[in-house]
Amino acid sequence: MLRHTLQRLLLVLPVLFGVLLIGFLLMQVVPTDPAQVRAGPTATQDVVQAIREELGLNQPLWKQFFIYIGRLAQGDLGVSIINNVPVTQELGNTIGPTLELMVASLIWAIPLGMLLGTIGAYYRGSLIDRAIMAVSVGGVSLPVFFLGLGLIWLFGFKYPILPFTGRTGPLWTWEGLQGVILPALTLGGVFVGPVARMTRTSVLDELGADHVRTARAKGLGESKVVLRHTLRNALVPVVTLIGLQIGFLLGGAVVTETVFSWPGIGRLAVGAILSSDLPMAQGTIIVLSLGFILVNLTVDVLYAVLDPRVRGA
Amino acid sequence: MIKRYALLLAGAAGAALAPTMPAMAQQKAPLSILRVIDADNYDPIRSTATAAAEVMYMMADTLVTVDFDMKTIKPGLAENWSVSPDGMTYTFKLRKDVKFCDGRPMTIDDVVYSLKRWTDPANKSPVSFRGGPVKDIRADGDSTLIYELKEPYSDLLFQLALSFASVVDKNTVEKLGQNFGVQGFNGTGPYCWVKWTPRQELVLKKNPYYSWGPPIYKDPKPQIEDIVWKVIPESNTLMAAIQAKQADVTYYMPYIALDTMQRIPGMTVQRQENYIYDIFMGFKVDKPVSKDPAIREAVNMAVDKQAIAKAIFFGKGTALPSLLNPAVLDYDKDTAAKMPKHDPAGAIKVLEAAGWKPGADGIREKDGQRATFTVYGIRNDVNPRISEAMQADLRKVGIDLKIQLWDATVAWGKLATQEFDAFYMSYPYVTATEALNLYFASRQVPTPNRMNWKDPKTDELLKAAATATDEKVRKEAIGTVQMQLTDANVWVPLASQPLWVVAGDRLEGVRAHGIYGAGLYKGLDIKLKR
Amino acid sequence: MSSATNPLSRPPKAVEAALSTVAVTPVRRKTVLRMLLSDVGACLALALVVLAVLGAVFAPWLAPTDPYGNDLANTLKAPGEVGLLGTDGQGRDMITRLLFGLRTTLLMGLASVMVGCSIGGIIGFAAAYYPRLSGLLMRLMDILLSFPAILFGLAIAAIFGPGLLAVIIALAIATVPLMARVVRGSALVVLQQGYIEAARSLGLTDLHIILRYVLPNCLSAMFVFITLRFGQVILLGAALSFLGLGAQPPTAELGAMAADGRNFLFFAPHVSVLPSLVIFAVVLAFNLLGDALRDALDPKLRR
Repeated sequence: MLRHTLQRLLLVLPVLFGVLLIGFLLMQVVPTDPAQVRAGPTATQDVVQAIREELGLNQPLWKQFFIYIGRLAQGDLGVSIINNVPVTQELGNTIGPTLELMVASLIWAIPLGMLLGTIGAYYRGSLIDRAIMAVSVGGVSLPVFFLGLGLIWLFGFKYPILPFTGRTGPLWTWEGLQGVILPALTLGGVFVGPVARMTRTSVLDELGADHVRTARAKGLGESKVVLRHTLRNALVPVVTLIGLQIGFLLGGAVVTETVFSWPGIGRLAVGAILSSDLPMAQGTIIVLSLGFILVNLTVDVLYAVLDPRVRGA
Repeated sequence: MIKRYALLLAGAAGAALAPTMPAMAQQKAPLSILRVIDADNYDPIRSTATAAAEVMYMMADTLVTVDFDMKTIKPGLAENWSVSPDGMTYTFKLRKDVKFCDGRPMTIDDVVYSLKRWTDPANKSPVSFRGGPVKDIRADGDSTLIYELKEPYSDLLFQLALSFASVVDKNTVEKLGQNFGVQGFNGTGPYCWVKWTPRQELVLKKNPYYSWGPPIYKDPKPQIEDIVWKVIPESNTLMAAIQAKQADVTYYMPYIALDTMQRIPGMTVQRQENYIYDIFMGFKVDKPVSKDPAIREAVNMAVDKQAIAKAIFFGKGTALPSLLNPAVLDYDKDTAAKMPKHDPAGAIKVLEAAGWKPGADGIREKDGQRATFTVYGIRNDVNPRISEAMQADLRKVGIDLKIQLWDATVAWGKLATQEFDAFYMSYPYVTATEALNLYFASRQVPTPNRMNWKDPKTDELLKAAATATDEKVRKEAIGTVQMQLTDANVWVPLASQPLWVVAGDRLEGVRAHGIYGAGLYKGLDIKLKR
Repeated sequence: MSSATNPLSRPPKAVEAALSTVAVTPVRRKTVLRMLLSDVGACLALALVVLAVLGAVFAPWLAPTDPYGNDLANTLKAPGEVGLLGTDGQGRDMITRLLFGLRTTLLMGLASVMVGCSIGGIIGFAAAYYPRLSGLLMRLMDILLSFPAILFGLAIAAIFGPGLLAVIIALAIATVPLMARVVRGSALVVLQQGYIEAARSLGLTDLHIILRYVLPNCLSAMFVFITLRFGQVILLGAALSFLGLGAQPPTAELGAMAADGRNFLFFAPHVSVLPSLVIFAVVLAFNLLGDALRDALDPKLRR
């Protein structure tokens, strides 16, 4: 178990390095000169030159990269070119709300999706199954912003009962909880479908498996068979799916954050890239990618916990 | 059921909008003002954004103020003032009862420091030119300020009323350095800086000492304990938030929603008639296509400005009949008659006469040069629609308009380059001399004179107007410039962007002002009913 | 497929298992078609896809008005008031805009899927056929996968400037690692078959073996993936347009149209609802078709 985890950790390192390198290089080819942006439209050339030196922009590229990595290792991601605020501070401010939004979205979307998927598999081929699958395919095909704007139209404009103007407080307070409802419905809404589909497929797989047949033959009740013998094993691909879909979830989060003015890291990233705020953009990209890797690593370990067959591999 | 729930939530939502407020004995939820964009910083001399100015007026004061008519100068931190006969020396008598937010009494040194900080070229402020040709700014005793110029500058008092000339606390500026206006602020305004979360909200609280509000207001003291400036980039969200009473006031309401807002009981919707914030398209006069006066004239004729103003602002805006806004000081009436009228057929004639013949795809050509040009602009709520409408209008006469709009934060850098042929700009101003000196003086190339307009005659007249001590001489000189530029079709004046303030039923005493786009100006006289 | 070699390229079991079984079970094309046609949903989806493609191809002839003109006296008219589906913010007929929008959207999807899948396919085959390359190639794919598509969109829009090209490049890049995984997965299964060994012993060239024996047996898996990916790509494109990075005016593109119309959502909802609905319908059709194809090709699900 421990060996398995360590092995995974070691193998993540080159991926991590690659992510840092690409994140760095990507921003190097941006045609906007960060020194010019920082200096403002009326600055003279010598001012721009001075800022370039201050930012280390006149060093060779590889040197800039290692300076960057070195600072990174010390938790220093530089300061925003636009307003001088340390990148880590902004990241710290925005990562919480994004996690809140994701947790609030997944906390209802995953159980609901799994429930629907299991029901679908259990009543395979019935009208209920078909309806569930239709709804989940529909959910997957719906543009995120459309869902968000639709919810705003319904619960903000037609029946103004829920706030939608951004984060209204920490998740554990009553106010914060209300504020997160609509964004979480939006982001979670696009996630129910994939989870339901994946659960259905894997429960179906398991229902046909030998040990389930054995259980049935032993005369166990059908609901017990489903709960005890199939759902646990069916969890494995669902957990995998969540790891794989975290990027998709991030994309949805960026759009959801924009629609609901949610003060998260996605909105920060969009703003930073659109305004050529180089250190901020790098910071957000690295944190988002790190998050993705971390989730996948966790999923990997969970995978081994849930499915002992993997451990030996 | 839904109604009871709604009531319950409305209360909770109100409380929810005060996340940073202390939970102490506070009966009223803070006043929440909604806007669509945040400023890059809140240092008066470093930001040119309206988003900075609109908060600056609440956090700091200026020597003089402007009345709601946008023309009359009224006292501010200065009780009274006088101008020497040669127009070169301004003497201001300061109030003695003024205190900063931290309780320290304001001294003459603070005023001298702030104005010098603004006008000193060493500080590289993008707005230092607005202070005029300063010779010296100094104290005379402990309450008299002398502002001495190298040559007369007729716009000075109006410029001193802008937020760039705000008085700030020297100690705080020096303590915070680059972070002044980012991590903290200390001014003498009716409201004090509490906390800024960039792109989200800026929290202010009442300045407990404040009693020196300008006489344009009924009550010189602030009436509200706390204010939150919230940024809501999505216009639908902003609209529905006001409608659902989750926020109190905004002047960034989408124009399409104004009629609906007017019908909501308790909602006040008012227009500032004297507001000047004009939108125009300017040509670079030295680029291959836009250097041809025929092209510029044809564009002015082909674009249906009336229809654009009506469609873009949903009947709430007005087309500009001339280079400058008719409401502006020293406006030349005759330029409106001189401005080409909407006439696509006439535009085609002008182009044909100048040798621009239709090419294979309908776009005109002359000597192998296609009649195409690129326009840059800021991506805001009106530019995308205006540019697309113009694009269609120009296509009808065989001109191809290429549009490139930029996010507000990069746009200013892009607009300082020579990459484009034309650009969209919307700008607030008070006098004709101010506007034209800003945009057409050859010393202002490459920005804000993005037209690259370098004309000795213009320069001479602009200087004559700026340094005139006689009103008639000034009007004559600046009138001639208006006519000259109208003839050259350097600009396509488009529309006057109206200012509408929408306020919920919790508020009373809201009055639209709009200096430099700041709809609520100092935020005085506003009261919360609950 | 040993999952221990790599932390991230662990096979998403159900997906790849389902896909790779396809490869080992040659299904006659006629059977697949018959099965598709016997499924009502699949028929509807197929009809919708055909309809969308026809509409897009013949847009210039079908559209009642000029897609790039304007009629500022008739902006934001409701459906029925002016034209069958109303007008947009520039007074342009919605039917015209929708047809041209569909054209751009489908072209965008096609271009990014074609580019992304070609590159991803080549990488996938190479990784499967040359085990020595596999580690490096798949590690590269993992790195690419660590960037959500939306971040590619942002970064590439920053480099090339916002526009269709940026979206196509971003979505193509985001497609490459996914396709590479699918292809590698099914190719590995095919490569274990006896006839590959036989082909090798006959001294056939690698390229020949891949093209003649591996590729045909992976085609169905690839086809299912491409169909499903097409829907996803259109959705992603719409999201990028929503953020202002997609097609620029006056180009009609469904995602951009939906995003532009959102400012009038409460007053003229048709301007953004109609393009959103078209996106929804097209994506739904591709998803249903992809599902039906997979069901038809996967004997395991045909219980």
